[in-house]
Amino acid sequence: MRCFTALLFISVLANSQNVQTATLANGMKVIIQEDHNIPNVAMYFFYKIGSRNERPGITGISHFFEHMMFNGAKKYGPKQFDREMEKAGGNNNASTGEDLTTYTDWFPSSALELMFDMEGDRIRDLSFDPKMVQSERGVVYSERRTSVDNSNFGILYEQMHAAAFIAHPYHWPVIGWPSDIEAWTQEDLKDYFAIGYAPNNCTMVVVGDVTVARVMELAKKYIEPIPRHDPPPPVRTKEPEQLGERRLVVKKAAQLPIQMIAYHVPEAKNPDAVVLDLAAMILSTGQSSRLYKRMVDEEPLALSVNGRAGDALDPTLMIFTIQPRNGVDPARTEKVLYEELERLQSTEISARELQKAKNQLLTQHYRQLKTIAGRAQLLGHYDVIFGDYTKAFTIDKDFEAVTAADIQRVAKKYFTEKNRTVATLIPEGK
Amino acid sequence: MKILFAILAAASLQFGQAKLPQYTKETRSNGAAIAMMPRSGVPLVHFRVLIKGGVESDPPEKAGLANVVVSLLRRGTTKRSAEQFAEELDFLGGSFNAAFDGQLGSATAISSEFLSKDFDKGLDLLADAVLHPAFTESEVRKEVARDVDGLKSVKDNAQASIGMYFRSTFYGRAHPYGNPPDEKTVSSIERKDIIDYHAKFYCGKNMLIVVTGDFDPVSAKAKLATVFGATPAGTAYAWRTAQALSRKGQMLLIDKPDATQTYFQIAQPGIDKKNPDRATLEIINTLFGGRFTSMLNDELRVNSGLTYGANSQVGQNRLPGAIAISTYTKNDTTTQAMDMALDVLRRLNEKGITAEQLVSAKAYVKGLYPTQRLETMDQLASLIGEIELYGLGRDEVDGYFARIDGITLEHANATIKKYYKTGDLTFVVLGAADKIREQMKKYDPHATEVSIKTVGWGDR
Repeated sequence: MRCFTALLFISVLANSQNVQTATLANGMKVIIQEDHNIPNVAMYFFYKIGSRNERPGITGISHFFEHMMFNGAKKYGPKQFDREMEKAGGNNNASTGEDLTTYTDWFPSSALELMFDMEGDRIRDLSFDPKMVQSERGVVYSERRTSVDNSNFGILYEQMHAAAFIAHPYHWPVIGWPSDIEAWTQEDLKDYFAIGYAPNNCTMVVVGDVTVARVMELAKKYIEPIPRHDPPPPVRTKEPEQLGERRLVVKKAAQLPIQMIAYHVPEAKNPDAVVLDLAAMILSTGQSSRLYKRMVDEEPLALSVNGRAGDALDPTLMIFTIQPRNGVDPARTEKVLYEELERLQSTEISARELQKAKNQLLTQHYRQLKTIAGRAQLLGHYDVIFGDYTKAFTIDKDFEAVTAADIQRVAKKYFTEKNRTVATLIPEGK
Repeated sequence: MKILFAILAAASLQFGQAKLPQYTKETRSNGAAIAMMPRSGVPLVHFRVLIKGGVESDPPEKAGLANVVVSLLRRGTTKRSAEQFAEELDFLGGSFNAAFDGQLGSATAISSEFLSKDFDKGLDLLADAVLHPAFTESEVRKEVARDVDGLKSVKDNAQASIGMYFRSTFYGRAHPYGNPPDEKTVSSIERKDIIDYHAKFYCGKNMLIVVTGDFDPVSAKAKLATVFGATPAGTAYAWRTAQALSRKGQMLLIDKPDATQTYFQIAQPGIDKKNPDRATLEIINTLFGGRFTSMLNDELRVNSGLTYGANSQVGQNRLPGAIAISTYTKNDTTTQAMDMALDVLRRLNEKGITAEQLVSAKAYVKGLYPTQRLETMDQLASLIGEIELYGLGRDEVDGYFARIDGITLEHANATIKKYYKTGDLTFVVLGAADKIREQMKKYDPHATEVSIKTVGWGDR
């Protein structure tokens, strides 16, 4: 299978060749890739701030802030950002996570200068109209009701995180606890802006129908004059080692139960992270994966099963999410999961199975490069999480280096009883 | 990737118009049509097989059959077990997705993507699944049971389940779109139904194969002809004729006692895929409920904070569909949000749109089009499939910007009067009935109520 990897690697490298980077005088990093396939641009801003930078009382404020970034600044008032952008043929979104807040703009190349003007305006001079704050609070609460309160997966995920982390900020939900959503103040927002939205705390990625010269010219005009200031203080709290299994139950009206079993695993930069990615592939990606075969196919135990750990700045969780079939006791799916994890610990996987996982991981990574939006996401993600965008083009070397013994070693190290949190949603009132 | 970029740029930027790159199409003697769009550059090949029929071809009492058939294609063939198929596919890092072509699609679509160097292996896997599935009794039983549980889990997702209730309420059970699968219809599916369906529909005259990406067209053509040209010709599926929508102006209330917010849809009759008003309606709906600054989202989200999102959609399927408003809000603001949505509809109907709005919507629709339809090989394959299957012609893409540019304010406002009406609306409401039942009477004093726990989607 060497030629498989080599072939991919050549075309991926072809991409890395036309990536240019620069750092503005105020510390903002700029990554540019010219691509004239379609007359469009993806411009992404990655701010290194998220719910891990919050504290009790203001949980959810990073996410709320993301909403406020669309509610008016000095030059472009309330509603203007979206109106001007749409009128110019563009569209946008934004997302907040534990580690990052990302603003994503997609537009025809003719709108490039407008977008720089508007992004610069809101980073420099965001306004906090009390009326907008109040109305946006309702919007965010509605988002919470949809994604958590009325979502069985959402509510279990929230409870599971709160149990698995007792000290580190990954304990609270990105969207915030309901009482905080109702209570945060104008002052909280202003303080937060002052720490999070430093240009030196941001990476801008521009991919698409642009020239490097033009992007740099506009970045110097609209972004560079924004003064740098202190980035958020480092997150001090580290999650202490878990001392025994934690179990919790959520009772809720439902047709089917849900189970989430989570293990503490290291941050993305840790060399074990890529080994765990491959272990996740072996266990649950594709119909040939071990857990799918065992639980979904051979025995009618689960409707779906998947395991994954996201790339995170701090030690995170690998979560196995299982939807047991109608009438199946979740204790059975739990037991089968442990049997499969034990098998991974006790018996070295075959060379072919390992190669299959590598091929899957690589093609999955590669498919993200098909669109300008996918590449903007990937370049920014690797820059802020790994500190180096070129990692996006060399990650295949890390995959290749993983051995069967590595898989066995990490399985033994992390998939232990003491290290796990078992959360189960049990239907009530059926 | 450089070569690809150069070619596409030339194609899509010409005269500021969207332009579909060239492709070839050839029909084999057994009726199978093969379309190819070779594009050198990215070392991937994308296959899309379309089987006419889709949601229209489900027997009424066995709704879900076409979907069970397509799910089973990869679960064992005459030369591979399900496990072998999965193992080979996963080892190549290939993808194999099989589903309806759009929720109310009139075809089944099987999409599969491989590295170019795996063209032969990929084609062998794909063709084996599409043409030679084994449909063993044990796989059939497993799939049917999984589907039944899958339908149960849909009930745990308010937004997914309201879509099912909407179909049976808006279209009525006699309409091909109004008959979503439920636990009963799926349970009644047997192996013989599946084998018969496959024999009847997966035949040459009913099949279109689209290949896009980096491959050699000469050798590909020969290979595709050998594989798909040898399948029996069969009989081409005749589309069902459109039926008048049976009911309008009524409400279905779905009781989910634990819901802390109410989800609702308000709908009226719209258009089909070939309707000449299509481009105009896309522009109008963009302004009414198709983007963030749309009238609905502006009122219900931005101005009042009642919801995380409010939108309107215009169905563009083979048969005429719905124009539907969708949103949700917390229990005690249900009528406030509903009244506001109706008020926005009334305002659109009475006042129409302005010249400034029209300009903005045209720029928005054209600005996003390349990333939505022309950027990747799978988007292009999907576009070619639609053009060929529904007889839309290249003009679907090449004439699109001209059609948008040609819309006048007068025509847009006349089109609003024609479609965005304020009476005879269908309401589908999902929430805690005890908290909202009384208030719903003002919209329909004779609303039908059903518990979400009752099997099915409200009408049988």
